[in-house]
Amino acid sequence: MAVRVMIVDDALFMRNMLKEIMIKGGLEVVGEATNGVEAVERYRDIRPDLVTMDIVMPLKSGIEALGEIIHEFPEANIVMCSALGQEALVVEAVETGAKDFIVKPFKEEQVLEIVRRIVTASR
Amino acid sequence: MDMSKYRGMFLSETNEHLKNMGQLLIALEKNPHDRECIDTLFRDAHSIKGMAASMGYVRTADLAHHLEDLLDGFRQSGSVPGGAIDRLLAGLDVLEGLVEDINADLPERDITEFLAVAPPQNAPQAAPPEQPVPAVAPLTPAPSTDAPPESASMKIQIALAADAAAPAARALLILRQVKSLGQLLSSSPSEEELRSGALFSGLSIQLITDRDPADLQPLLASITDVAKVTCELSPAATVHPAPQTSRKDDAPRTVRVRTRLLDQFINLTGELLTSRYMLQAAADQEQWHEVRSGFDQLARLITDLHHHVLQVRMTPMESITGHLPRMVRDLAKKTGKQVELRLEGVDVEMDRAILEELSDPLVHMVRNAIDHGIEKSGEIVIKAWREKDLVLIEVADNGVGMDISAIRAKAVKSGLYSQTQLKSMPVRDVLQLVCHPGFSTATRVTETSGRGVGMDIVKSAVENLGGTLEFSSRPKQGTRILLKLPLSVAIIRILLVECGNETLGIPITRVFRTLELEGNSIELSGRQNVTRFDGEIIPLLSLSKVLGIDTPPLADTIQVVVSEARGRKVGLVVDRLSGQREAFVKTLSFPLDLLVGVSGATILGDGRIIFIIDPQYLLASRLKAVASKSREH
Repeated sequence: MAVRVMIVDDALFMRNMLKEIMIKGGLEVVGEATNGVEAVERYRDIRPDLVTMDIVMPLKSGIEALGEIIHEFPEANIVMCSALGQEALVVEAVETGAKDFIVKPFKEEQVLEIVRRIVTASR
Repeated sequence: MDMSKYRGMFLSETNEHLKNMGQLLIALEKNPHDRECIDTLFRDAHSIKGMAASMGYVRTADLAHHLEDLLDGFRQSGSVPGGAIDRLLAGLDVLEGLVEDINADLPERDITEFLAVAPPQNAPQAAPPEQPVPAVAPLTPAPSTDAPPESASMKIQIALAADAAAPAARALLILRQVKSLGQLLSSSPSEEELRSGALFSGLSIQLITDRDPADLQPLLASITDVAKVTCELSPAATVHPAPQTSRKDDAPRTVRVRTRLLDQFINLTGELLTSRYMLQAAADQEQWHEVRSGFDQLARLITDLHHHVLQVRMTPMESITGHLPRMVRDLAKKTGKQVELRLEGVDVEMDRAILEELSDPLVHMVRNAIDHGIEKSGEIVIKAWREKDLVLIEVADNGVGMDISAIRAKAVKSGLYSQTQLKSMPVRDVLQLVCHPGFSTATRVTETSGRGVGMDIVKSAVENLGGTLEFSSRPKQGTRILLKLPLSVAIIRILLVECGNETLGIPITRVFRTLELEGNSIELSGRQNVTRFDGEIIPLLSLSKVLGIDTPPLADTIQVVVSEARGRKVGLVVDRLSGQREAFVKTLSFPLDLLVGVSGATILGDGRIIFIIDPQYLLASRLKAVASKSREH
């Protein structure tokens, strides 16, 4: 069964790009969310195998959403999407329970490598 | 391996766990079925055990293990029997003693006596020590003694790719993975350092594991952004590092700072640099308008910087109230009284220097309340809140209240004031008399409050911090002590006064009011100039005379700063008042620190150094003379 991925980002551009990478890598994108509030709700509904979560988003930041999801589902596989210069936030995310992080601009092989490693480790 | 650099961290983290445990045990006594509480206590004990074992503090680890076992039993039974709390608290006391020993570089004290006492009968049997530690998140390394027999210590060096993004976060993830492979003894940089954004070039890890280095190496090398990994077994001797022996005083004091705050510092530094170049350019081109707006910007940035620096020093008041519930519980038990302690608003943050000075006074006030205030049963409320630049702390009890006639009688008996003086003295001021050195209306010295720290020490501690202290009390209803304290000590507002050719600063917190007096509002009482202020007669003292400065003869109108010393208002006559300002107070070193009544110095904009005087101390000896003279009349 294909790995089920949810993509959270407020920018359509980023969501589409990540979607393309995931599909190319043989993963199934089962849901998308555009802010932290939506992310938490969608996660409860679809329970994906893995989430890519942008850090800076409206309504609720990626780190807050991460915290809420981890609190409810401690085993959740969440990969943070950060930009250069957000090191402190990435550290905070890792401390909050993010499994890994990817840095924009995304490199296809690196994203897939990280996703596969996490999914393999949790299966 | 050299573990000495971890000693400070071990002490601070262990103390935090101990404090937490003390509070939780008191909460647990009230609610013995609180599962979460038991779990947290268990994890605290587990963490201490792990850290102590890693550091080689065998007895501390053993005792923590013992407490962990006890708590594990309660985790399984779901509640803690009453008698067990005493046992756990006693264990905590011994544990605190051990940590004190470590802190003082002494050998760890003997714990066999404590361990020999059987656990309370109604408590479930403690789990046998051989039983493996239940799986909890391995936040801290488990002790090496729990490691499988064939495991060995391995040294792992990891270099990250030069272009690795967010290296600290990556390093934290690597450490997380490494922990799943064995028991992490140490890492450099440590997790704490990584969290606070430490710069580093590589990761050096000491791990106890039964894995083969040849298996570990490729596993770690495949992690994103890892450039190079070396794994090598190290000699077994390094598994039990000897406790090191650095002196307590040498240990640098550390503060935990949120990384976000540090980021803000960097941003501010950047803006200050920009501002500097802008000013330089504007000055070179002689564009004075630009220069002026540059200075405005600079002023804003400095205010901002000041604000942020203060933030770093801010600590919640909890850090000094944490042990009070335990203390109240023990004192209540000892005195056979029923005392409830309520803490409100203790998340209010204050300068850590102020909090440190406040810790003992707070303990004393609580002791006093139990000893002299509450008779059989009652409540003590400690409440803290912010009001502008002040933090207010109220310590209130609903006990018998202060005995005003006893205070008056004692004041007369010890020759402080005459009957007549006391009759006209406002009740508020009479209550203040208990702060006089050596003044205690309690005829017996009790174990609870008769321990050397009197209300005089409390008052002077509060006043040294630039704060004030007020009493209010009603018979049969209780006593309230209100402390008003500045948020921070280093920067204060001062009033500049001139005296002869000298400019001096007086902290604003010491100034009641400034007055301009005409000659006809000055009266003579005996040989003392006095004036009326708020319906009170206050003495007028020339600051020049007090300081021994030559001064021009008095003009028609004189400038007076009304301050307070020894609980009485006093008018200080100065030549001129020259404004208020914020001042960064520098403490004085020898021999200047011997000057009585001079509390520090600051530098004015024009480069002059001025002294900051504290009327309270400056006038203490002088007022005594005034008081005894006026009694003779």
